[in-house]
Amino acid sequence: MKSISRRALMLYALVAVFLVGSGILFGTLYVNADKWAMRRENRHVFSGGALIAAGTITDERGEVLAETKDGKRVYNDSKKVRTATLHVVGDAGGYIATGVQSTYKDALTGYSFANGVYDIKKYGKGNDMALTINADLCVAAYDALGQNKGTVGVYNYKTGQLVCVASKPAFDIANKPTQSIQNDTTGAYDGVYLNRFFSGLYTPGSTFKVLTSAAAMEHKPSLLQEDYTCTGENPIDGGSVKCNAKHGKLNFEKALNVSCNSVFSKVTVEVGKEGMSETMNRLGFNTSMDIGSIHLAKSRFSLENASDLDLGWAGIGQYTTLVNPCHMLTIIGSIANNGQKTMPYLVESIRSQSGREIYSDRPKENAEPEALFTPEVAKELQKMMRSTVKNKYGDSKFPKLEMCGKTGTAEVSSENGGKKPHAWFVGFSEREDFPYAIVVVAENGGSGGSVALPIASKVMKKAADLYLK
Amino acid sequence: MQKTRKKTYRKPVKWQFLLLLMTVFQVISMFQIFINGTQESNTTLFTVFTVYILTEWIYFLVFGVFLKRKSFEIELIAFFLTGIGLTLTTSVYPDKAYTQLIAVLMGISVFIFLLWILSDTERAIKLRMPIAFLAIAALVFTLLFGSEINGAKNWIIIGSKSHPLFSIQPSELVKIAFVFVGAATLEHLQSTKSLTKYILFAVSCVGLLFLMKDFGTALIFFFTFIVIAFLRSGDIKTIFLVCAAALTGGVGVVTFKPYVMKRFETYRHIWDYAATGGYQQVRVLIYAVSGGLFGLGIGNGKLRNVYAATEDLAFGMVCEEYGILIAFLVLLTFVALVVYSIRYAVAARSSFYSIAALAASSLLLFQAALHVFGVTDLLPWTGVTLPFISRGGSSMMCCWGLVAFIKAIDVKTYKRYDSILKA
Repeated sequence: MKSISRRALMLYALVAVFLVGSGILFGTLYVNADKWAMRRENRHVFSGGALIAAGTITDERGEVLAETKDGKRVYNDSKKVRTATLHVVGDAGGYIATGVQSTYKDALTGYSFANGVYDIKKYGKGNDMALTINADLCVAAYDALGQNKGTVGVYNYKTGQLVCVASKPAFDIANKPTQSIQNDTTGAYDGVYLNRFFSGLYTPGSTFKVLTSAAAMEHKPSLLQEDYTCTGENPIDGGSVKCNAKHGKLNFEKALNVSCNSVFSKVTVEVGKEGMSETMNRLGFNTSMDIGSIHLAKSRFSLENASDLDLGWAGIGQYTTLVNPCHMLTIIGSIANNGQKTMPYLVESIRSQSGREIYSDRPKENAEPEALFTPEVAKELQKMMRSTVKNKYGDSKFPKLEMCGKTGTAEVSSENGGKKPHAWFVGFSEREDFPYAIVVVAENGGSGGSVALPIASKVMKKAADLYLK
Repeated sequence: MQKTRKKTYRKPVKWQFLLLLMTVFQVISMFQIFINGTQESNTTLFTVFTVYILTEWIYFLVFGVFLKRKSFEIELIAFFLTGIGLTLTTSVYPDKAYTQLIAVLMGISVFIFLLWILSDTERAIKLRMPIAFLAIAALVFTLLFGSEINGAKNWIIIGSKSHPLFSIQPSELVKIAFVFVGAATLEHLQSTKSLTKYILFAVSCVGLLFLMKDFGTALIFFFTFIVIAFLRSGDIKTIFLVCAAALTGGVGVVTFKPYVMKRFETYRHIWDYAATGGYQQVRVLIYAVSGGLFGLGIGNGKLRNVYAATEDLAFGMVCEEYGILIAFLVLLTFVALVVYSIRYAVAARSSFYSIAALAASSLLLFQAALHVFGVTDLLPWTGVTLPFISRGGSSMMCCWGLVAFIKAIDVKTYKRYDSILKA
């Protein structure tokens, strides 16, 4: 008897094993809850492959971009809006990786480990999301891109609100041309699921000269005071960097106005590898960045094993450098904002059906301000970009906007076999009451001045209609 | 002696309050089903719950008030778990609600009957040989004439397979016999001969279950054998040896019978087989976390649409509809049964009662572990049911039968009997 009761104590080991197992099970459930609840097999959340449990997604004015009606996911009534906002809103099938319906899936459904999918059951839908974008401006930008593939982004460089994100090609999500996309041989649907604004990487071309100027100001300010002569090329180490014209005698600011390759390649070599790398790394090159839950493609700037000639090419935005358009917009916005970095954001708020705000990507009010440039450097860059628009492109392109900017024509032919260059425009308005910055990339569109500049002009005019009282 | 006894007896839990609490819990469950209409017939719904709740109250009235028993922890646990199972069945299978209710009533009858058998140790011990033979006979009969469901030939079905008049899983009832014979043999003659006989009996049972391809139940029997053998001998070394031998045998079987291995190929890879072999387990995990800590309420789950949800996936259903908190409370109740048996082992009337209770409670805990950790992919999935909660008549009788052993360990269970018998 006694021995049995003593041996019975061994069964506590059994109990302990069971309790440990239960603990592991609970931990496993807790850790994987979000991932598992968001699985496509979950009929509470998905139906027919569509995220039915998501709430309503609206633009900055409350225009409905996507909502769940009677257990079905439906989108804006207008085909133009559906197409222009496709990449931002995303598809319920998850093809568009950076769409908010994919990246904010958990928050949109209102799933939590404590309550499970109870709220979805109760309200028939999840949490509502208000975006910062303006659907009309997105449509204008999408149309302005015309026949080009590419992207346009506009944001308020003081608040960070992304008011326009357009990426082309896109399609109408209500009538998805699945067959055409699958059997496409013309390239018309190349990267159709990619939001080029967040996920694209492009050779920056001459827009990069703005950043090179910043590096020069920071590492060798004397370069700005020198006089230069452009003979149509800048010989370095037996090779040479060709210029777009023979500019003759010119100063630094004039060199940016006319986008002189000779001067900028020379300046870059003077600044040197270390100086260039220091500035670019600080500006966010070679670093992963996120816009809320959206992951940006990482911009690349590397001078490892670069010769002086390579360095010269790098300084004018060629060589191996690649830039993400959203990252570029952030840098341009910081210049506009006197050096203070303002990260763009897309999600104004996510509210539960009871109206409580549960999430926002708005910059925290007490956040430590982060400077990308000193105010002096930023002001100098503003001045140079302002004179570029004034003297080179003409203020008529951006009436009343006091626009600062820089175009870029990024050669890609050497790698991609005779393709046209990427056309770029970056810029911003200096007006206190219109603090908007813009980036335009027309993929293999041609020259920045003839392709990207008109697009930027159209979009900024539309933005002025909307925001400039 | 007197002193140690006082220490061992703890104050029994006040059952009146807990019974009321449990009744409220069950009435709420009933109204949830009523509101969402998952049980089409309200007559069925109210009848099932009324009968069940009445049964609980009558039981407690008879044994608590008339027979003046004080401790009811074990019954409270059994009624609590059974209530959850009955609720799920009533909601998921409207036409099987009555069948399950009858199974529950039969289970409770088995419990009371077995308690009466166990009241007389001499009589109980005498029954061990007939029961052992009956158990083996039942298993042999099943192996010869049984029907195969889900790959295991462990059912006796009368009538057609799709619409059976009556079906029974003899291996479930043999579990009671297994514990009974194990405890009784060792009580009676602590000789090598009786031990050899018991080993022979155990090996026959496990072997027959293996031939039926009911590996989950075979594992449960083997585990119970180990527990009984250890309690009897206290010889850890031998136990390890037996386990090692069994493991080798198991590996051998797997090598020679590839189809056994096939059952385990999805283990730890269920997400790769989400549409095939891991289908049910993937749904269990998805819907368990969908339920959250507090559950979606009875009838609001989606796991119920998955095949065999109320039987093989019962734990997932409890998680989704009752909530993860209650699901883990369920796990703790199985722990409580074992702890109760350990605590009372020292004060049992004889080693027969100690071994029976410890073996029965360990068996239930082990089966719960196989079910819960199997269906959630922490252990290989054997498809065994969750005691008390999974739908099924045979397993209901088995569980309540095993509970009788646990109940019998407490001498106070029979105090009143004895005085009544004397009077």
